[in-house]
Amino acid sequence: MHSTTVILIVEDNPGDVNLLRRALSGVRSVSLFVVNDGAAAIEFLRHEGEYGGAPRPNLLLLDLSLPKMDGHQVLAVVKGDPSLKSIPVVILSGSNAPNDISRAYALNANCYIAKPIDLDDYDRVIKAFEQFWLQIAQLPGSETE
Amino acid sequence: MVHAAASLVTNTAGEPLLITSSFIDLTEIHRAQSALAVSERRYRRIVETAQEGVWMIDADSRTTFANCKMGEILGRQPDEMLGMHLFEFMDEDGRKIAEDNLERRRQGISEQHEFKFQRKDGAFVWALLGTNPIHDDNGAYCGALAMVTDITERKRTEAALAHYATELEQSNQDLEQFAYVASHDLQEPLRMVASYVQLLARQYQGKLDAEADQYIGYAVDGAKRMQRLIQDLLTLSRISTRPQTMRNIDCETVLAEALKNLQIVIEDSGASLTHAPLPVVYADQGQLVQLFQNLIGNALKFHGDTPPQVHIEAELEPGDGAVEPPHWLFRISDNGIGIDPQYFDRIFEIFQRLHNRDEYSGTGIGLAICRRIVERHGGHIGVISTPGHGATFFFTLPVNVTNALNDCDSDRRG
Repeated sequence: MHSTTVILIVEDNPGDVNLLRRALSGVRSVSLFVVNDGAAAIEFLRHEGEYGGAPRPNLLLLDLSLPKMDGHQVLAVVKGDPSLKSIPVVILSGSNAPNDISRAYALNANCYIAKPIDLDDYDRVIKAFEQFWLQIAQLPGSETE
Repeated sequence: MVHAAASLVTNTAGEPLLITSSFIDLTEIHRAQSALAVSERRYRRIVETAQEGVWMIDADSRTTFANCKMGEILGRQPDEMLGMHLFEFMDEDGRKIAEDNLERRRQGISEQHEFKFQRKDGAFVWALLGTNPIHDDNGAYCGALAMVTDITERKRTEAALAHYATELEQSNQDLEQFAYVASHDLQEPLRMVASYVQLLARQYQGKLDAEADQYIGYAVDGAKRMQRLIQDLLTLSRISTRPQTMRNIDCETVLAEALKNLQIVIEDSGASLTHAPLPVVYADQGQLVQLFQNLIGNALKFHGDTPPQVHIEAELEPGDGAVEPPHWLFRISDNGIGIDPQYFDRIFEIFQRLHNRDEYSGTGIGLAICRRIVERHGGHIGVISTPGHGATFFFTLPVNVTNALNDCDSDRRG
């Protein structure tokens, strides 16, 4: 694998950011970046504005309910951009509404995970995510294009 | 009767030479004239008493005839209409359409169409016209005849219906939007409460007393229950707002799927399930599975001391031939704890529970969902029960279209 896996977390709720960091805290060789809205996510990916020196993520953890630009819109932009669409996008959302799920996959999300309400279940889910996406699956390289 | 005529013939000197006389028998002519008068009276009566307007125009589109009803429709005296041009009975937009219509008449086309006329008082009236061109003996166009019916009231009703349909669509969209908000915006704070209370419990494990553990348990439990309630409300609202995919569905398949989903409950409770052959109905499959699953799940849940016994059957009800179509009556019977008659209606309402949480789990929305599904299919649902002696839930569903035709055939043959 790579020396460090770069994950961009797009999540506006600090409580959820904290839960995610805690659940991933035991994972080695992972570098977490957090942005709090959809527009910032796109700027980060395109190295615009304050994100001029931002690294290219190996994976995107994307919430759906975001200010400025919601998760589905971010997904559409990423998967519609030839230079960005190869980045795996894992939707991590509080919603299990069938509409949200089917729309995400229609926009070419790589995976959809609904956040469990129970903390133990949540930790198990994040652990499973980490085992599959960070240990078992191969991710695209950090080289651009 | 006879017509007599005589004339004197004279020579050039004026002297009478002879008298010529002729006699014409008028009997036949009179008989023919009488018959014609009778015939004319008959047709005049038909035209004058007709509930439709009768309107004739000549080749220049000027009125040559209008009956009383036609005058009534246009708010004019029939006499004053004579000689008036067709275009005087409509507005500017109408004239463009009428010009096209006249052209079709000139081409010999007879047809029925709607048209908006303008009355003498300026008000508009919608009419249904059956028009025919009139041709002379050489086949040339010499005018048109129309039978006219006032359909203004019908148009008004159609507009009102369309308006209500739009409002309903808007209302459904609002409901859908609300459900979406509930799905996202309500669940997030819930997750925060539940997750962080549990996080606190973990972090301070061993440093808090048993009472604190109990409090944490209540808090987390409350949050989880709230989430289930929200999920149930969403399910309920989606039944109303989602379009149904109606097809002929085999209820045997539906039952099989519902039982598969309830497998664990069936095994754990040691239940025995029986059913009579189930029919094919015209319904939405997903909702039907939900309906069966909820009702059978209830039958399994509310058992007494003995293992649950559940029986499912259906019979065809003919309907009353007027308003109530033929339908299938389903019955799901159990040997459980039963229901007090005073609660027969209440249990189908949202969040109505008859037992506290320690006795039987559930949010109290399952039957409300069942009722919504059944009613959306045009049926009705109810229960018969004696406390301590089980309950029978029944509901009706529409017969599938092919079944209905087959029944018609067998009626004729039988």
